[in-house]
This record gives sequence, structure tokens and C-alpha cells, in this order.
Amino acid sequence: MRRYSWRRFDWFLLLAVLILSSYGVVMIASAVQGDPELVDYPRRQMFYIVAGVALMIAVAAFDYNLLASFTWPIYLAMLALLALVGVVGKTIFGAQSWIDFFGLFPIQPSELAKVVLALVLGKFLADRQERMDDPATLLGGALIVAPILTLVFLEPDLGGAVVLAVEAAFIFFAAGLYYRYIFAIGAAALALSPLFWNLLNETQRTRLRIFVDPAADPDSYFNVEQALVSVGSGGLLGKGYGQGTQSQLHFLRVRHTDFIFSVIAEELGFVGATILLLLLLFILWRLWRIAVEAPNVFGRLIVVAVAAIVLFQSIVTVGMNMALLPVTGLPLPFVSYGGNALLSLMLMLGLVQSVAMRRKARG
Amino acid sequence: MSSRSDRFLTRIFLLQALTVLIFIALLGKLASLQFGRAQAFQERATFNRIRVVRPEGERGVVYDRDGRMLVRNTAAFEIALIPADLPDDPDFVVSQQKRRVLYEELTTLINQALWEVSPPDIEFEDDGKAVPSRRTPPPLTFGINEPPSPSVMSVDEIDQLVLQREAGSAFQPVVVAENLPRDVALRVIEESYRLPGVVLQLQPRREYPTGAKTAEIIGYTGPIPQETMQSYLERGYNADAWVGWSGLEFVYEDYLRGKPGRKVIEVDVKGREQAVLGEAIPPEPGKNLILSLDMELQEAMFQALLNGVNSWRSESAVAVAMDTRTGYILGMVSLPTYDNNIFADGITAAEYASIAEARGEPLINHAISGIYPPGSTFKMVPAAAGLQEGVVTPRTRLNAPGIIYLPNRNFPDNPLLAQPFVCWIYKEGGYHGDVNLKEALAQSCDIYFYKLGGGWYVTEFEGLGAPTLAEYARLFGYGEPTGIDLPAESAGLVPDARWKRIAKGERWVTGDTYNMSIGQGDVLATPLQVTLMTAAVANDGLLFRPQIVAAITDSEGHLVERREPSLIRELPIESKWLDVVREGMWMAVNWEYGTAPKAALPDIVVAGKTGTAEFYDPDIPRDSRGNLPTHAWFTAFAPYEDPEIAVTVFVYNGGEGSAVAAPITRDILRSYFDIKARDEAAGSRTLLERMEALQP
Repeated sequence: MRRYSWRRFDWFLLLAVLILSSYGVVMIASAVQGDPELVDYPRRQMFYIVAGVALMIAVAAFDYNLLASFTWPIYLAMLALLALVGVVGKTIFGAQSWIDFFGLFPIQPSELAKVVLALVLGKFLADRQERMDDPATLLGGALIVAPILTLVFLEPDLGGAVVLAVEAAFIFFAAGLYYRYIFAIGAAALALSPLFWNLLNETQRTRLRIFVDPAADPDSYFNVEQALVSVGSGGLLGKGYGQGTQSQLHFLRVRHTDFIFSVIAEELGFVGATILLLLLLFILWRLWRIAVEAPNVFGRLIVVAVAAIVLFQSIVTVGMNMALLPVTGLPLPFVSYGGNALLSLMLMLGLVQSVAMRRKARG
Repeated sequence: MSSRSDRFLTRIFLLQALTVLIFIALLGKLASLQFGRAQAFQERATFNRIRVVRPEGERGVVYDRDGRMLVRNTAAFEIALIPADLPDDPDFVVSQQKRRVLYEELTTLINQALWEVSPPDIEFEDDGKAVPSRRTPPPLTFGINEPPSPSVMSVDEIDQLVLQREAGSAFQPVVVAENLPRDVALRVIEESYRLPGVVLQLQPRREYPTGAKTAEIIGYTGPIPQETMQSYLERGYNADAWVGWSGLEFVYEDYLRGKPGRKVIEVDVKGREQAVLGEAIPPEPGKNLILSLDMELQEAMFQALLNGVNSWRSESAVAVAMDTRTGYILGMVSLPTYDNNIFADGITAAEYASIAEARGEPLINHAISGIYPPGSTFKMVPAAAGLQEGVVTPRTRLNAPGIIYLPNRNFPDNPLLAQPFVCWIYKEGGYHGDVNLKEALAQSCDIYFYKLGGGWYVTEFEGLGAPTLAEYARLFGYGEPTGIDLPAESAGLVPDARWKRIAKGERWVTGDTYNMSIGQGDVLATPLQVTLMTAAVANDGLLFRPQIVAAITDSEGHLVERREPSLIRELPIESKWLDVVREGMWMAVNWEYGTAPKAALPDIVVAGKTGTAEFYDPDIPRDSRGNLPTHAWFTAFAPYEDPEIAVTVFVYNGGEGSAVAAPITRDILRSYFDIKARDEAAGSRTLLERMEALQP
């Protein structure tokens, strides 16, 4: 009996992703308009979408369960790669040039780490379903998360590390971690927060300080404030595509990545921004549905991890554009310009589709 | 199994609920921003991009009577850096390294271009054949002959300024090099295309070709002073505009400035103009001024005064020339002077202070702001008054020994307490004897004027008396500003009993009248007031309100307005009496016993009056015989038969008027009549005459 079927491939999910990422291309075109250095970006983003969809379908065809046997080698390889980037890469190639070196790879190690964490932690917790009350389960899971998190943080990629932490939390939660452990972890995190503060570098601390007290640094706050003005001045229907004064006169910075949501809200207004949010919500709804219908715990936890990443990055970027959350430099999933983030998301959706194709009919 | 499955579903349901709640929250926030506060944010977005600019019109220029340019507009070239466009790196150290390399390259480029365009003067010390010309600056001029020198900042200075500026307004350019020659600036810009953030700026700049020679008249412009900012802003000025600070630049500000335009523009985040919204109103250029000043004469006056004064180590001096028929100022020199071009490039507070506080106060126009005892030049006032009031006739002779005594008011019988009044000639061991008015003027006989002013108790001769003397002094224009079209004019002082009671708490005594009669005591006058008096004597009693600007034209040279001197008053003195005074002045120059033979010209008949006015200055010691230091005065008109010019020369602490001021006056008159003869021979006309000939 065939255990998978293309009929169960989530075509609606693919369609929503295609619509959303095309929406992104159109808005990137508006954002980079008139900038000779970035004029090529919409076309490049389109190429990434096509490549990403191909990657998604290829991965979907592959049985994710086969990966279950290789999680440990994959995990170790991942750690090695991160160490190479963070430690060796820095000393050999200098602070900047490792990007050039790893530019040969389509997906950066820290993005790949999100996929690997989903696989390894998912497999570990799926195998220990009967022992979710055992502190050893919690401890083992933490030991899996800690090295990968530390290496990404040291890269330094604070945003990436936070995403990994949230991803891990969602996996633990969905795997059924006892509430008493959840509270214990919450209390521990709170107690350790001063230590965490000391680990941050000055830029990251400044961002947090500005978030708490916007007036502290008028120059840095400028970006956040201008994003707020862009969103607010959009009104119901916006100023028209390519007509946003904040975007087109460059009051809004890094428009094609961090602040793409502000461009949309300014030029297409509440209607345009709501459509974007509903598309994201639709994608998340499909993901949660696949998680519920997944054939096994391993698959379910993979889907939960992907949903966690999409949800968290959406909240953070949209919140940042409305001055609700600090500036992190995370991309808005499927929309912000950037092949690395997009290909990594498509790879994850490939795994999700692989799970979807193997789910049982509901009944 | 089933409980585990239920737990999964519960957990995922919770996550789904969380997702929905978060999205509802985000949508709520979005709605509150885009509905609730849309208008406020739209206003802020508009404020971001819309600027109303009021470009200033080009400032008017100034010509002398023959159309020589005294003020023109040029541009100063600057190289600047926009901090926001400089190379940047998240790592501060790397960023600094990159920038310093850029600064280094840029400054090298500028210095190289400067060197190649104008290599610095190198004075070779050769083997004693040619002595290197060491220019010593003239002692009475400040900042002259120094064309605005290019200045280039050092890498450290740039670094510091950029860091400062970046914290506040990163799009505001930081000027790195200023006052560059045009060739250098253009070349630097051409060659710095690789260097991001480097821009060329043009700074409109006033240029004064005649510099120090006319600085006190023309004045200068500067940024709006903080304390008067509000009133300028109300008149529609931009806060960074330059306005007239002194001289004609100040007085005629409203004409020179023109009308600013108005333009609504859309700017990008760097403040760069992207589009003009609506219709722009272009600025209107300012009006031009045509002066009555004859620059050729002004230069001759400047030179004559400088020559005359340099040999006397005086700290300040003045020469004024006025057309006695019209009241127009033909020339006005005040030493020490300064080059007003140094203000055109902006001046530091320290530089300003060093000029403003220099010896002799170069920034002050002593011709109209300086007040000094007029000394014997004042004698025309009691002379005219005495005749008009019938106190004396031309034939009245008064006895003038070298010294007379006024008895003490309280002890009239004690000769030891009597106050002596001496004539200048007494100090040389002489006396004038019985003299009439003309002789008294010609010889500057002090005793005659003591008696004429204050009476003489021995012969029971009734003098003019202090009130009448003061009245005539005021009629001649003393004691109030003349109203010339220049700023900061002084009133001078005509003392009287009331003034003395208030200022000194003392009673007016006959001795005061005596001193006043010879222009000493508390009488104070500006050189311009003395000139006005001489002109009124020369032109038979017309006291003009002097004027420097003769006409105002629009930017294309069309006559807009003629400015003619108005009459302050016609003196209530009969022509025959003024005739006598003129004759006295003629005798001073042309009679063998006159005081001013040095003012005579061979071909032109000159009439004048010397003045040697004592003054008290704690810094200037008395001479070996205990005499006070004196200012040298000479005031004259010419030609005697048909007067057309009045000239007054004043030399602070200059000694004898006859020895110092009279020859300078002669040189000035010489130049005036030479220029006139040459112009008449060539048939040349003044700018105004030429303009009027063009009009139907």
C-alpha cells in the first residue's frame, strides 16, 4: 500500500505561499524603485521563489521518516558547521568574508540550524513520548538545544538564537511537556535574565533600551518612528502603489527587508496590510491542521517547529513595524527580500508537505 | 495512547488559539494606527517631506558716481562632507579606519590641487643682492591686502566634526575646505568621484573691491545677530540669511536685499529637493545704489590723509569732502580703517575683537561718530553770530594782548585769584594787538573771540553771551546728528548753563563762555558737523542734510529713485555778514599774516580756517612746557569766488592745524580740481548724468 499521496499534498498551502511571496516581490519592486543598486532585487527574489518551490516539492517527495535514523549524524554535522563558521571562519577569513565563503551555499548555517533542531529535538521527544514526566527528558532536550543555540548566538546572530529558543519551546510544549516543567523553565529564564543581558553586545543592548525608552537614542529611534509614521499615514486604502511618500523619499530605511510591512501599510493601507496578515494566518492555519493530522509524533513536531518559526517571525517583524517590539533584523516570512530566509522556509515547508502527504484521512 | 493523543490535540488547540489571538491583536493595533491616528501620522508624513523655502534674491550692488563698482557679488567655493553618505561599518573601529583613509585622500587631493594652481611664494635668500621685500603693514589699516586665504582642515579636525555632526544631523554637510579658488574646487570635485559623501558648495559672498578705503561707508554684512533674530524673522528673513551690519549695507538693507521668493518643495530624507509643488515665486534681486562719492577723490583723500598722518604717529584721522552746492558727500575717510572683505568670509569672535579693540577703533567711522573739541574751526559761529546780532561790525576792533584775566567771582579784588585766558600766540611770546573780525579769523586770535563771546568787563563791552552763542551753534548744526544716511552718528555737544548744572553740578561762568567761543571747553563736534558749517558759510547759509546715496536703481540699471539732500535750514544770517566771514577765511589762507598759508593752491583760491584743539587724554602726556596735547583741524572751501567743495581734515593728537591738517587739505583740493579739470576736458559725465541722458 502506498503510504503517501500527492492528493494529500497541501495545494492550498502552496497557493497561499505563492500569492504571499508574489505580493512580496511586487512590494519589493516599489521599495527599491529608483535605487540603481537594488534595481535587480525583485527579479532575484522571483528566482528564489521559483527555486524555493522546486526545493519544497523535491523535499516533499522525500519521506521525512527516513531522516529519523540520521538525526544524530546530522546534528553533529550541524554543530561542526556552526563551529566552523563562528570560530574558524572568523579567524581564517576575517569577520566579514565568511559570508562570501558561505555565499556559495544557498542557505546559511544558522538558517539550516532551525531545520536541524526541528528534526533532532522532534525525534528525541517523539521517542520519549512515554516519559514526558521524566526530568531526564527535559534535561536531554535542553542538552540538544543548548550547544546549537550557543553557537548561533556566538556567530553572533541574536535574532537567529531567539528564533531557535522559541522553536524549541513550541516543540517542547506541543510534545506535551508537563506544565510544572514549563513553569520551572519560565522561572529559571527569569532568574537568569541578568546573565543574559551581560551576554548581549552593545548594539543589541541599545536596541532593547530604545525599545523600553524610545527617546534614549533619537538617531536610532528615527527608523522605528518613521516606520510608525509610514504605517499610520497609510490610512484605509493607502497612498497608492509606488506613491508612499515615506518609502519613496527614503524616510523609511531598509525598506525591502526589515520594514517591508511599513511599505505595504503605507502604500496599500489597512486593506493591503490586512490581506497580508490574513494570508499569513491562512498559512498558519494550514500548518496547524497538518500538525493535528500528522501520521506520527515526529512529523507532528516538525510541523509545529515550522509553524512556530513562521508565527514568531511574523509577530516580531509586524510588531516591530508598529513599534510594538524591538528591531531585530528578522525578515517577514515569504515577503521580505532575501534568498537565504526564503529558501530555508521553503525547505521547511517541503518537510511539512512530506508530513502532509503521509497523513491519514480524517475520520 | 488516547490520553496522549488528547493531550496533543489540546496543546495544538492552545497554540492555534494563541495564533488567532496574536493576529487579532496585530490587526487591532493596525486599525488603531491607520484609522484612529491616521490623520496625525499623515500630518507628520507631510511635515517630513514638504518644505517651504524662501530663496533670497541676489543682493544689490553699489557704484560710485562714475559707475565704479564698490560692492559686488561673487561666490566662495567650499568642499564639504555629508556624514550620512560616508562609508559605514557596524564595527566602529573598521568604520573609523575607512573614513580616515577617505579624509586623508580628500585633504591630500585638495592640498595638491591648491599647490599646483598657486604654488606658495618662496622668498629666496640670495647673496645680499636683492633684499627680500618685507612688507610692513600700514599702521592705520587692518587686514588689508589679504585675499581670503583657502583653509583646509586636518584629518583629525574632520574626524571630530563628522562624529559630532553625525550624532545630530547626519545630512548637514561638514565644510572641510573653504575659500578655495574656483579651479581648485572644480578639480577636487572631479577627482573625488570615488570618494562617497564629498560635495561642492557655493557660498554667495560679498566682495568689496575698494576694501579699506571705503569700509566705513560701505560697511559689511553678517549673519543675523541672535538678539535681533525675531524682528528679522518677522520681516520674512531666513534664519541663516546674512544682513547688513554697518555702513550703507545696514542703512539700505531694505533696498539692497530685494524680495525673497517662495517655493514649496518635496524633499527626501537627506533634504534634497525632489520636486517643486505648485507654482514657485522667483526671488526678486535687490536694488543697486549709486553714490555721490567720487572713488578717485576718495582714493586721493585716503592717500593724502595716510601720508599726512603716518608722519605724525596719530592714532586716528578723518577727511570729509562735501559738495557745498548740493550737500552730497564726495569723499569720507576715517583712519584707522579695516578691510571689510574679512567680514565677507565670516569672522571669528577673536578676530572681531582684535579689530574692534585695536588702537584708534578701526570699526568706528570717526567722521560721523567721533566727537572732538572743534577748536578754532568753531570761530565761524561766534563770528557770524556777532555780526548778525550787531555785537560787532566788520570794523570793530578789539584789543588783543597775549593774555587777559577774568577776576574771581567771589574775590574780585584779589588779582592772584583771577583766571588767566591766553591766546595761542602768547605761548610763542607774541600778541595780536587791535584786530577786527576778519583779522581775528585770519590769525585765529583767541582774545578777540573771548571778548566777542563773553564780553570784556574792563571796557564794559557786551559780548554775545552764552545763550546766544549756543543758539547760533545749534543753528549751524552743532549738538544734533546731521541725519546723514550712515548709521551710528553722534550728536556732539553744545554746552549751556542747564547742561552744566546737570552734568557737572556747577554754575555757568563767563570763563565757560570764553572757552566755548574758541571751540574749547565742553563743545564737542564731529568732523562732518564742521564740514556742514563750512559748507553753509560757503553757500551763503544753506545747511544741508548730507547724503551719500544719490540714486537707487533696479537690478537692470533703471533709475528708481533719486535721493537729494534736503535742507536742514536756511541760516538766519544776512549774506553780507557771511561775506565777511568768508573774507576772514580767505585771509587765513592768502593774507601774509594768515595761519594757513600751507593750504594755498597756485591756481585755485582757497579759503579756510585752522584749528588746534587742546584735549585731555590720560594716556597722552603734556609736552615739555606743560601744554595739553592738541588735535589738528583744518576746514576749507574752494574756489573762493564760486565755492563748490568744502573739505575738513582732522588729525587726532596731530599737533598744529596749520602745520598738519592744512597741507593735507591742500592735497585733497589739488586732487579734486585736477580730477575735475581732466573730466571737463574729456567731457566725461557722471553715471547719473549718463542715465538721465538716456531717459526721454
